[in-house]
Amino acid sequence: MDVTVPEIPARYDGYRAELRRFIVDHKPTLGWKQRSGLRVPEEEADVDALREWVRSLYDAGYRLAQFLLEEVDEHEQRILEQELGATGLPFVLGNPLVAGALKAFGTPEQQARHLPPMARGDHIWTQLFSEPNAGSDLASLQTRAELDGDVYVVHGQKVWSTWAQWADYGYLLARTEPVPGPKGITAFILDMHAAGVDVRPLREMTGTTDFNEVFLDGVRVPVSDVIGARGEGWKVANVSLMTERTNVGGGSTGDIAAALVGVARAHRRRGRPAIDDDSVRQAIGAFSARSRIQRALGYRVATKAAKGAADMWDAPVTKIWFSELNLEVAEFALALQGARGALVEGDPDAVDDGAWQDRFLYARAWTIAGGSNEIMRNLIAERGLGLPKERRGDIS
Amino acid sequence: MVPNPQLGFFGRDRGGSRAVNFAFNADQELLRESTRRYLADHHPLSALRPVLEAPEVFDRDAWRLAAGLGWTAMLVPPEHDGGSVTDQPLVDLVVLGEELGRVLHPGPFVPTNVVADAVSRWGSDAQRKAVLPPLARGEQVAAWCLTADGSVEPGSCEVRAERRGDALVLEGVARYVHGATVADLFLVLARMPDGLVHVLVPATADGVGVRLQQCLDLTRRFGVVTLERVEVDAADVLDHDAGAVLERAVEVATVLQAAEAVGAADFLFHATVAYLQDRVQFGRTIASFQAIKHRVADLLLTLEAMRAAAHYAALALNDRFDDRPAAVSTAGSYAGDGFAFLCGESLQLHGGVGFTWEHDVHLFVRRAKTSQALYGDPSWHRERLCALAEVDAAQRDA
Repeated sequence: MDVTVPEIPARYDGYRAELRRFIVDHKPTLGWKQRSGLRVPEEEADVDALREWVRSLYDAGYRLAQFLLEEVDEHEQRILEQELGATGLPFVLGNPLVAGALKAFGTPEQQARHLPPMARGDHIWTQLFSEPNAGSDLASLQTRAELDGDVYVVHGQKVWSTWAQWADYGYLLARTEPVPGPKGITAFILDMHAAGVDVRPLREMTGTTDFNEVFLDGVRVPVSDVIGARGEGWKVANVSLMTERTNVGGGSTGDIAAALVGVARAHRRRGRPAIDDDSVRQAIGAFSARSRIQRALGYRVATKAAKGAADMWDAPVTKIWFSELNLEVAEFALALQGARGALVEGDPDAVDDGAWQDRFLYARAWTIAGGSNEIMRNLIAERGLGLPKERRGDIS
Repeated sequence: MVPNPQLGFFGRDRGGSRAVNFAFNADQELLRESTRRYLADHHPLSALRPVLEAPEVFDRDAWRLAAGLGWTAMLVPPEHDGGSVTDQPLVDLVVLGEELGRVLHPGPFVPTNVVADAVSRWGSDAQRKAVLPPLARGEQVAAWCLTADGSVEPGSCEVRAERRGDALVLEGVARYVHGATVADLFLVLARMPDGLVHVLVPATADGVGVRLQQCLDLTRRFGVVTLERVEVDAADVLDHDAGAVLERAVEVATVLQAAEAVGAADFLFHATVAYLQDRVQFGRTIASFQAIKHRVADLLLTLEAMRAAAHYAALALNDRFDDRPAAVSTAGSYAGDGFAFLCGESLQLHGGVGFTWEHDVHLFVRRAKTSQALYGDPSWHRERLCALAEVDAAQRDA
């Protein structure tokens, strides 16, 4: 067993120093207040500044392995992710999950046409999977793509697409075959600037706009933009969905316990600092354990995947673990703040300018997105443990 | 050493492309297989049925035969007949602990290893030569006399030690001592006027008395050890800082007990799933009800989390990671409560049959509830985690 950080050899110090200089020289200043979660800028100027930032990195040779077909130096890559992560700025724009699908199923032409511009920030991508009537039951999606000569004509409505308001391309699932369920689905590259694409930003309970509705009305997609084979979109999508669930599970809960200690020190309970209250201390201890287990679960899942011994439940387990922990931590942090916990961003007395309140509201994105936790529990029981499947109803 | 943060997504530091290796190696898997086979042949849970209410459940001859599998040798150096499978003996022991847990093995696996570890690390040459070989070979077993109330709080230590010339006189009581009735040797925590000491006391020493405790757990035996003017040689004292000895012993015990909990929980989980798929009501297996399926999913979540916590704690303790204390207390708090939760749910899901004496599920419930109180209960470990978080917060602010 070994989970220690590989030592980065001293010969990379120069690479790191050069990268740090580059970051100082090129890092943009945004008007956008960044919040936790998968959040999207609201102003075009910020999107442009981020595109410029990602482009400058790419052109200087700072490129992320997830968009590259060739092998990269692992130490350089690690330094790159550490240093870019430390800036607190996004360095991947849009939803990048299509990159995995293109690498696994795309043609060499598709890979050459889309991976480099995605890496360079020239192409922002969104994902067009969920529909108003196909959320948990994604395989029942109804968006149609009908072959007409050498194009597919797409009609339908998508929802919960992050970055769609700024996107150049969409990773689309649509039904090409007249059969219900997963067998009739095909994956496409969709030009978001094409005629018939209408993006309507959604304002969520957080008050921010991170998701969109996307209406597709006779959008023409060339057959060369099918990813993988016709009718095999479900297989293609599952590669991305598993990555998404693992990513949700791999989401950092940060140093939860130390952060909660900070909140507990700054507030009082029954006349004493909350940190002196035994029930508070027990709760912080329990959150500490759960966040440490999250990291250990990550090691376990990563090891099993690397050995080709993954269980079907690995991704759902980590997804449920992270999302429920994240929600409960936010709920507890608000409770620690007492009445002050009711104050949000903008109020001068709010704690950390309402960051905990935003996290509390946004936490429901994690418990619902990527397959709601109830669907995850069905998956664990049915596909993981082989318990009988829920019967489909007959209401259409 | 510092563990890989494995943040992903936001933090994105995955330690480069090198995959972490958070799994047992081939030799350890072999150990698991051979131990499981051995236990199935020689120590199935069914074999305990006739002795559940007998004064003793431990079979000394069987223990000696089994020691060849390394049950008590892993933390003992080779020159004293010890030896481990890999260079990570505490990880090896987790494999054994899980397998012993699956059959609710009654043996003093935890205390004997705790004592062997303490003597290996801090014993004098003479102590090591005398104590370690018979423990490692399974010829003797050891018990650990910690406190009068079963807690790990030094303030609850009620054995006093006084110097009398070259000798040490012990007086007092320790309770909830696993294996007390069969132990050949006790490691006794005692209070001197100038602080705590650990003393090795032979069970045959004059003034040592043992009373069997009637306990919720039917697959292990605990006892009260009384020491009445027990005279030992000053050379029987472990010559090391008692606080450090105690902390190490608690951490080893916590990890091994968590491993037992994982093994027992794993067995019971799969037995429960099989039962649910078999039991028919309303013309369908009860496993087909979503209310049941979601509870089963939560049990798997609990089990996977217990396993991850226990394995990580063993690794962090063995390799002395910077986050070792928090890693151990994560396992101590979560595995203890998780095991009890899983057993309670299993009983409930079995319905009436789970309430019968003949069904094994109550043996697991009893084991879990007892383990929860030993070697630092979950609330003790949570308090420790909170105190560690305060240190982290102070470092962050500095």
